[in-house]
Amino acid sequence: MSVNRSDPETGLPPVDASGLPDHLTEADVRESAARERREKLRLFLTNWQGLGGLILVTLFFASAIFAPWIAPYEPNVLDVPSRLSGPTWDHLAGTDQLGRDTLSRILYGGRVALKIAAIGVSVALVVGLILGMIAGFGPRWLDNLLLLAFDTVRAFPTIVLALATVALTGPSLGVVLAIVIITSIPQYARVARTATLTLRNTDFILAERSLGAGTARTLLHHVMPNVVGPLLILAAMDVPVVVTVEAGLSFLGLGVTPPTASWGTILNEGYLVIRDAPWMVVAGGIPLILTTLGFTFLGEALRDIFDPRMGKGS
Amino acid sequence: MPRDVTDTPETLLDIRNLSVDFRTPRGRVKALRDISFPIRRNRIIGIVGESGSGKSTVLWALLGLLAKNAEVTGGEVRFGERDLLHASEAQLRAVRGEEISVVFQDPMTSQIPVLTYARQMRDILYRRPGVSIAEKRRLAVEMLTKVGIPDPDKRIDQYPHHFSGGMRQRAGIAMALLTGPQLLLADEPTTALDVTMEAQIIHLLQDLQRELEATVVVVSHNLGLIAELCDDVVVMYAGEVIEAGEVREIFHNAQHPYTRALLECDPARIDDVSRKLPVIPGDIPDLTRALSGCIYAPRCQRVMPVCRDEAPQEVARGQASFARCHLLAGSHHDPDWPPPLDVMTVGLDGVAKSKPTHAEHGKPLLEISDLNVRFETVGPLRARLKRIAQRHVDAVLDVSLSVGPGETVGLVGESGSGKTTLGRAVLNLVASQAGTIRFEGQEIRNMPESRFKPLRRDMAMMFQDPVGSLSPRKSVRALITEPFQIHGFTGVDLDAEAERLAEMVRLPKAFLSRYPHELSGGQARRVGVARALALNPKLIIADEPTAGLDVSVQGEILNLMADLQAEHGLGYLIITHNLPVVRHIADRLAIMYLGRIVEEGRTAEIFKRPVHPYTRALVEGVPQPDPDRRRMHVSISGEVPSLLNRPKGCDFAGRCPLVQDRCRAEKPGHVTMADGRRHACHFPLA
Repeated sequence: MSVNRSDPETGLPPVDASGLPDHLTEADVRESAARERREKLRLFLTNWQGLGGLILVTLFFASAIFAPWIAPYEPNVLDVPSRLSGPTWDHLAGTDQLGRDTLSRILYGGRVALKIAAIGVSVALVVGLILGMIAGFGPRWLDNLLLLAFDTVRAFPTIVLALATVALTGPSLGVVLAIVIITSIPQYARVARTATLTLRNTDFILAERSLGAGTARTLLHHVMPNVVGPLLILAAMDVPVVVTVEAGLSFLGLGVTPPTASWGTILNEGYLVIRDAPWMVVAGGIPLILTTLGFTFLGEALRDIFDPRMGKGS
Repeated sequence: MPRDVTDTPETLLDIRNLSVDFRTPRGRVKALRDISFPIRRNRIIGIVGESGSGKSTVLWALLGLLAKNAEVTGGEVRFGERDLLHASEAQLRAVRGEEISVVFQDPMTSQIPVLTYARQMRDILYRRPGVSIAEKRRLAVEMLTKVGIPDPDKRIDQYPHHFSGGMRQRAGIAMALLTGPQLLLADEPTTALDVTMEAQIIHLLQDLQRELEATVVVVSHNLGLIAELCDDVVVMYAGEVIEAGEVREIFHNAQHPYTRALLECDPARIDDVSRKLPVIPGDIPDLTRALSGCIYAPRCQRVMPVCRDEAPQEVARGQASFARCHLLAGSHHDPDWPPPLDVMTVGLDGVAKSKPTHAEHGKPLLEISDLNVRFETVGPLRARLKRIAQRHVDAVLDVSLSVGPGETVGLVGESGSGKTTLGRAVLNLVASQAGTIRFEGQEIRNMPESRFKPLRRDMAMMFQDPVGSLSPRKSVRALITEPFQIHGFTGVDLDAEAERLAEMVRLPKAFLSRYPHELSGGQARRVGVARALALNPKLIIADEPTAGLDVSVQGEILNLMADLQAEHGLGYLIITHNLPVVRHIADRLAIMYLGRIVEEGRTAEIFKRPVHPYTRALVEGVPQPDPDRRRMHVSISGEVPSLLNRPKGCDFAGRCPLVQDRCRAEKPGHVTMADGRRHACHFPLA
């Protein structure tokens, strides 16, 4: 037997039987994970779409959060003498027919948009995730029942649903929020359900069952972490939809109640005086467009990086 | 370098100094480094290597079909007057399919599911505008006849899903040969197939090569296949050719320590059933790092200081035959290397523990009797409407089997034999329809999960896919401590348990914070073993425990399992199709065919003297890693019939070489022989 595994002469590290050479330590392993994270970040920052999206989204958040500090005027303070002023140094985006400063109203309107987007999307995501996992993992009849419910909601036009609800309750921010949540749950649920279905028959779920893991544990610990990624990307792309739904409803007078500033109400008020003061519509539309673009770019960049099958690959 | 052979007319294709890099997020992977070897005309060349050796990359580099992130950094591939590495896309297209064609590993994914074979094969001949469609069809039918597809004139109008796995691979070979290529490349052509099919495909390739005078390159990790099929062998390791030569030179007088170690690790080669298998310690090197010295040095059984600093030169020993090792020439030449074949050069992994004798096992741990598992194929309503009387298939039919404590029972069968279903039925993961399953005397069949759950501590399962059976977003630490959480163990120090288990399966502590995708197959398998062992079970059901593992690593896992058995008195039920492996570890074997056990007995006796013709076919069907022991005939033909039309008589009657009239009419019952063996055959061999 000429077995000569480690060499005492060279003093070189022996290699242990498990396959991890001794010179590879836990730090190396951690480092490789950190390297992977850095690589993801680098991919993201060199993607002009992603970077642009990130900047726009940051601007959106910052302007909405810091509106009280950066807005030049109170959004609801009337200044009738300077009503319908064009863009001037005093009023960068002009004023409306009541003399309120449009720029300040846009900044405050961003707060409404942010509130709707943040609460609406996160509630819809959580509820959709739970329902989708139940549909994908539960018995066939429950799956069919939930699918029927999702499809019914999806088939219902958002605006008609909003009209009907507002007719019953009167316009309010709460109603807008409820409508946004109800109409976006099905898309999250469907994605979660499909992902759960494909996971359901994988070896590792069977392995969990063979260890005795119950349904709740399997769903929470093993299905959810694998399903939630695509949902987050979906959420980023869903924000602009939600923001425009709010603006649309407010434009139609079904959303926030006056005098609260919202991008939709600004557009509505501007629309009434479009012949005399076209800048109002323009100024109200620009943040809407920029936010939409920002979240869409961000969502697509995230998808490209985290879901290599759909992206261009690099 | 002694490369004067390369320009002789007998060289069809010459690979010179080929280097390929892959650009990955982790850095540049130097996948191939300075590969040179000739492919000689009218011969079958085998490229053998473990995963990560770059053997498939060579194949794709020849065809210019490397992945997008690959970059050829040097070398040339001479094919006649042309250099394929620097040929234009148009030139390459003219070569691909016409002069060089490929047989793929998985015929299911390499054939177009929505086109008939007639259409697919006609399309292959698209460069022949002068040939009419009828003529193309005639050529295709002729080729299907050659590869042994029965009734080709009709079957050519069928789709790939109408063909069984073996037939599909035959059709794949027919398609590759249709254009009359000079060179046929086969990438793991039998890996997706069962043992009996593998033997048939090997012989088919051999016959066709002889008949068509083609040159064939076969890429495989299977030493038996290479020995059986090839004339020349190229051994690759971590992106380098470390040895090349004629098949007898490689298998009988391997010069390189790696080749030698690989051969010694192959369980099919080891006649001494000692329960301990040799192992090459360590892992393939990280090819993104700067490399110096001999690539194999970190794992080499004969490593010397010089090996770490200085790359060995190619040492020729004949025409197109060489090895790269410091032992073979120069100042470190060792005239006693290589030692005779019966001397082992690689060590056995770990300390050899003797297995406790288990002449009498006493009360069996697991007792299965007359178990039936049935799957519904048609719903009751449809069955009534379409007048289908048989709504079920019997995946497991009247199976009786027992496993004692400290005993290893091998359950062997081809795909579709119901062996995995049987394992899952025992663990209550699949409902069964009749029979009894007793665990320590207690009837457990179809027990409700709430009552079964405590039993899961005593019975654990190892799954076939080592990485795929681990939850991908959980760290190794979380994975191996999960059983404690599932079964509500409070007051257990989970970190300490994680370290204890990791040590038990010889997994370094650093790995506890890794995630499944960061593990190699062998490491992931260790995690699976740790999970199975966490709660000190009494019985482990292991589904293909060596699947997806390289030859050099599978010994580690099997030795580990044997050690743990010796220590804890575990009972194993090992489900596998791999006879050479099971021969080393199992005390008893049960051979399954179409859901029934056709033979059961002590392993040594079954190998020495099989009673059932199917068992004999399986035993003889394993390709031997010795070119002098090539089989001259294939013992059984045909394929496993579908469960949907189970034969009326003996299930094996359709393929049995010794079939009699009685076999077709009457199903044989189980007979127990004087020595305790059981079989189901009307005309047993012994």
